[in-house]
Amino acid sequence: MLGFHFDASVCNGCKACNMACKDKHDLPVGINWRRVVEYTGGSWSMSGNVATPSVFSYYTSIACNHCENPVCVQVCPTTAMTQREDGTVYVDDDKCVGCRYCEWACPYSAPQFNADTGHMTKCDLCADYRDAGQDPACVSACPARALDWGPIEELRAKYGSDNAFEPLPDPSITLPNLTVTPHRDAQPSGLGTGHIANPKEI
Amino acid sequence: MNLGELPMIIFTVFAQMSVGAFITLGVIQTVGSLRHKSATIDRIADPALYAIGPTLVLGLIASMFHMNDVFNVLNVFRGWESSWLSREIIFGMLFAGFGFLFAVMQWFKWGTPLLRRIVAGITALVGIGLVYVMSMIYYSLPTVPAWATWYTPVSFALTTILLGSLAVGMAFVTTTMFRRHLLERDGKFFGAKVAPEKADHVQVNELMASSLRWIAVAVIASGGALLVLIPMYLTELAGAGDVGVLSMVPYTGTTMFLRLALIAAGAGLLAIFIYAFAKARTNPRPLAIVVTLAFVLVLVGEMLGRAQFYESMIRIGM
Repeated sequence: MLGFHFDASVCNGCKACNMACKDKHDLPVGINWRRVVEYTGGSWSMSGNVATPSVFSYYTSIACNHCENPVCVQVCPTTAMTQREDGTVYVDDDKCVGCRYCEWACPYSAPQFNADTGHMTKCDLCADYRDAGQDPACVSACPARALDWGPIEELRAKYGSDNAFEPLPDPSITLPNLTVTPHRDAQPSGLGTGHIANPKEI
Repeated sequence: MNLGELPMIIFTVFAQMSVGAFITLGVIQTVGSLRHKSATIDRIADPALYAIGPTLVLGLIASMFHMNDVFNVLNVFRGWESSWLSREIIFGMLFAGFGFLFAVMQWFKWGTPLLRRIVAGITALVGIGLVYVMSMIYYSLPTVPAWATWYTPVSFALTTILLGSLAVGMAFVTTTMFRRHLLERDGKFFGAKVAPEKADHVQVNELMASSLRWIAVAVIASGGALLVLIPMYLTELAGAGDVGVLSMVPYTGTTMFLRLALIAAGAGLLAIFIYAFAKARTNPRPLAIVVTLAFVLVLVGEMLGRAQFYESMIRIGM
């Protein structure tokens, strides 16, 4: 099973991964197979007359996690949403009817609708690049080397098995093939005090 | 109002109304057969039965507009092993198919009455299955807190009862008014000079009056239930974290006020009026107006409610 690794401790939110993905797959405006989410929040504490702020902001770069329990595949009425032998999930353009049910089901917004074709589209972990022995476009593009990919067992051995922090959803829903290195200010999934600061960019 | 989901609003509401109407007619057939001849019941029930077909077809056509690539539409059955959406379409087709078979059998009086009753029973069961499967599409999504609750199947069932029974009531009064109109045009008093096929018009009127009274009871009960359950549901959403609170937004303001007012007026006041005035000897004209008005108010109310339902789709995660 193939998956991604994301290291939030080195990501500075530059969106090179997002752009590399759009460029590689020639994605139209509004469709972002990889997105960078900015999560921000904070408060302050008073000590006498002194207010000490404690604020945070960190980024999460996310594409499709090619989940072990892919809810998008389960809900798809046409079987267009399919899981390959290597675990990657892709959309068969010849079958998709564009009902957008997968869009409702995926808590990561991985399946995205293309209004021009009337079909769903999504990350396929750059299948053609992988066949040619290359890394996926987003992984190669990251200047901070915050992204990695490979068989999920290897990623887990290398980076540990953490797979969620805010604003990532509860991983028990889809069992994502994802490992993450948390940011120092990362908050546990479901217990966040902040909010997504760039909803229009994702 | 969310016009993007209009196809789904029309499809779900109309399909549920069709199922409810079919079941209501079945109950009237079964209970009515204790006191009336089956020909009497058929006279009142058949026009309503034939009205279900176009309603369901309208809903199914609307659902096609939800598909963004109709050329691939035949693929939607492939996912039946895991997708509730495939199952919904299969159940929708089965309900339409059995319903059509029953309507044809009833029209040509094919088979024995028992056989027709069995086909009707199967159709009703498939219809109940359809409403259940429809609700599971939303109920089974753990990523949408506003949908993955008991309220989804319960509200779909209440829509089925409310609109199904009122639609049958409206079909009954429309048929009556139409017959009356025909008789008046022939220069006959209603019931005075009895045409051969109108021999049991007193019985028909009695059956219709008692049906309307029971329809009123069902509508008051399910409308009342809705008025209690909506606040219960919203209280639960309010306690379901940030996403739950965001999902409540469509259930506020003018839309919410209008919807509650429509339920209260249509399923409350007017239904009480129907219960009180549905007598065999009542002048059918005011009754027909009230039944039609109640149907229209509840239909608009339920469409608004379904629009709120789709608009409450706020997903967890990112």
